[in-house]
Amino acid sequence: MRLTYTFLVIGFLTAAFTGCKDPKEETTPFDKEALLRNFADRIIVPSIERFQSDINALQTSFTAFETDRTAANLEEVRTKWKTAYLQWQAVKIFDFGPIRNRAFKASTGTYPTDTVKITSNITAGGYDLASINNIDAIGLPALDFLLYRNDAITYFAGDDPYTTYTKNVIQKMVTETQQIVSAWSSYRATFIASTGTETTSAFSGLVNEFNRDYELAKNAKLGIPIGKQSLGIQLSEYIEARYSGISLELLDNNIRYLDNLYKGNSFNSGLNGVGFDDYLKHLERSSLDGTIRGNFASIRSSIGAFNGTLEEEMNTNTTGLDALYTQMHGQVVSLKTDMTSAFGVLITYQDNDGD
Amino acid sequence: MWFGWVSSLYIQPDYYFGYLGFEWVKPLPGNWMYTPFIFMIFAAVGILFGFLYRFSAALFFLCFTYVELLDKSNYLNHYYFVSLMTFLLIWVPANRSLSLDARIRPRIRRETTHRWHIGIFKFQLACVYVFAGIAKIHPDWLFDAQPLRIWLQAHHHLPLIGDLLREKWVAYAFSWFGCIYDVFIVVFLLSRKWFAFAYFFVIAFHMITWYLFPIGIFPWVMIFSTLIFFPTAFHEKIVRFLHNKLPKHKGEHMTKPPSSEPSPWIRRLLFAYIFIQIVVPFRYVIYPGNLFWNEEGFRFSWRVMLMHKEGHATFYLRDKATGRESEIDNTRFLTDTQEDQMATQPDMILQYAQILKEHFDGKTLRYGEHEFPISDPEIHAQIYVSLNGRPSRLFVDKRHDLTQLPYNLAHREWVEPFEE
Repeated sequence: MRLTYTFLVIGFLTAAFTGCKDPKEETTPFDKEALLRNFADRIIVPSIERFQSDINALQTSFTAFETDRTAANLEEVRTKWKTAYLQWQAVKIFDFGPIRNRAFKASTGTYPTDTVKITSNITAGGYDLASINNIDAIGLPALDFLLYRNDAITYFAGDDPYTTYTKNVIQKMVTETQQIVSAWSSYRATFIASTGTETTSAFSGLVNEFNRDYELAKNAKLGIPIGKQSLGIQLSEYIEARYSGISLELLDNNIRYLDNLYKGNSFNSGLNGVGFDDYLKHLERSSLDGTIRGNFASIRSSIGAFNGTLEEEMNTNTTGLDALYTQMHGQVVSLKTDMTSAFGVLITYQDNDGD
Repeated sequence: MWFGWVSSLYIQPDYYFGYLGFEWVKPLPGNWMYTPFIFMIFAAVGILFGFLYRFSAALFFLCFTYVELLDKSNYLNHYYFVSLMTFLLIWVPANRSLSLDARIRPRIRRETTHRWHIGIFKFQLACVYVFAGIAKIHPDWLFDAQPLRIWLQAHHHLPLIGDLLREKWVAYAFSWFGCIYDVFIVVFLLSRKWFAFAYFFVIAFHMITWYLFPIGIFPWVMIFSTLIFFPTAFHEKIVRFLHNKLPKHKGEHMTKPPSSEPSPWIRRLLFAYIFIQIVVPFRYVIYPGNLFWNEEGFRFSWRVMLMHKEGHATFYLRDKATGRESEIDNTRFLTDTQEDQMATQPDMILQYAQILKEHFDGKTLRYGEHEFPISDPEIHAQIYVSLNGRPSRLFVDKRHDLTQLPYNLAHREWVEPFEE
């Protein structure tokens, strides 16, 4: 008897909710696979391929500099290095799959670079750049020191260990980038099909790495140097790319690429595709989407307002940097708490009964 | 790795969030932490074959509960359920038939048993379902279909049912069905007429949850445990079937039925147990404010699948001498799971503040030529939390020195009020 009643209630409810379904919902529903496909084909793979051509161009320019060591040729190497480093901001977000498996993020972008270690490697010789001990003596940050230290050109003389070290650092990146490009071509299919909510799924990995990279930008590129984790004492030795002074450009690029990813903008054409924003709109969280967009825009305009390098601004404009930091902090809550919870992505992998 | 999670949950963490009153329960050093799990395997086999049954049941209960008490970041209602069920197993003579114990010592064999030996398990299962059902009679669950709306849409990529799961009405249907199921299923399981039909629903319900949610072995535990609601004849059939498969053994067949009434002492203890089980889930009524937000009286109450809470917590160390402040990198102290759980649970927030205070108290922090001897530091936190799909809002304000706040069962005034 009671069971019949239960069925009636369920049937009634089902009918009721089907009945009041919004009839204008006829647009194509949001699809995670479409998002992953857009990310893979129009953002991730093109970004990695561009990085590869940038790194190769860096190597070519360095070879030219090796044969003819003029200041102009060194300047060319620096320009190529800078292009590659700015492009690296688009690649380092994707620390999962092949990039995670090969620890590519750590070997390419660990900073602050250990100048003492680099110098002693060069003096002593017989170094192994693949060793975990040398993780902060290689990659783009090591080149910042090698190419931009005072009177850098005087260190490149003849068939010297300094030149060889620089060449080896570049060569390592060329080789590894090549490996990542080919690994991604086979990983692509796995990535696109992995749409679940468990942490092992590509979608969860992507959301988590997106958040992690944003927090890393906030903390490592800005917070730590300006003293946010050291009782307000500035730590200029933690500034990224301190010798070239491009820290704020790197930060700006980092945020730009995260913003583009959020919106699903194609890397090459800039045209808008399926992104996190579409997922939020599909979930009827348009106001959150507006907040996140607004935050990205205002963060980028604040970064653009600085004229000097990060180190110069740290000496003259701590208020401006503090304000930027606060802005960036606010965005963490929108991304990590609001966006992630709206997506229903799990942070932990253990059994979870939702309590 | 089979035991990979033992290491990540109980060996790798630097700190543990003990339960109030049970902070003395500490993990064993290093790989010794594997021993309770190995004991549990032996104990489970012992229970299964009825070998050294009571000892096995006690060993399993102690090891399992010990592990659960280590860190509340890993609390799950299901684990609490396992602890209670194995505790009850210790006190019933489940080894009196078809067991190695009865084969070794035939004089313990029995064909009948006290009614409470079966009834107490029915009661325990009824608690889980009914309280889980009552907890679902909540506006978020019934009128917003939350958190199921978040969780179901995340599966929109599944073949066949994916398109359904993105429909709002499906989340409502799941919510209402889940609530009605939990509240009434026990009534039907107890009915002689309906139990088989009800069991079909038990299987269907738990298979769906197993398919859609990461709740581990719980669906299987429930599917098999609810068999206890089946009539004795059904179980006797299984026993007889297994008996016939096993080699015959000699020895007298004890049929002396035990007295049908439990002794007064057992009766008192049973009443006490039942009373506690019924009162504990309702203890939340003595706390003001929103239960999901404050989580006062939330655990041990069968509030399953009710909440999707996500938080971001920034902790600050403040040096009293200079008034200077540092942000804490939580990943230096906590695992991802711990940080995630801590950020939304007020009692864990206070525990973490104490961990930080003890870590920094008496240390001298050096930055370049600057030195800061830290003594009795303040710990502050700014925490934002999103509950069941609502926009995040301030959970803990930075103005409180968390080290000065009492860690006890009293209502916590310092959690920002939850207003709709």
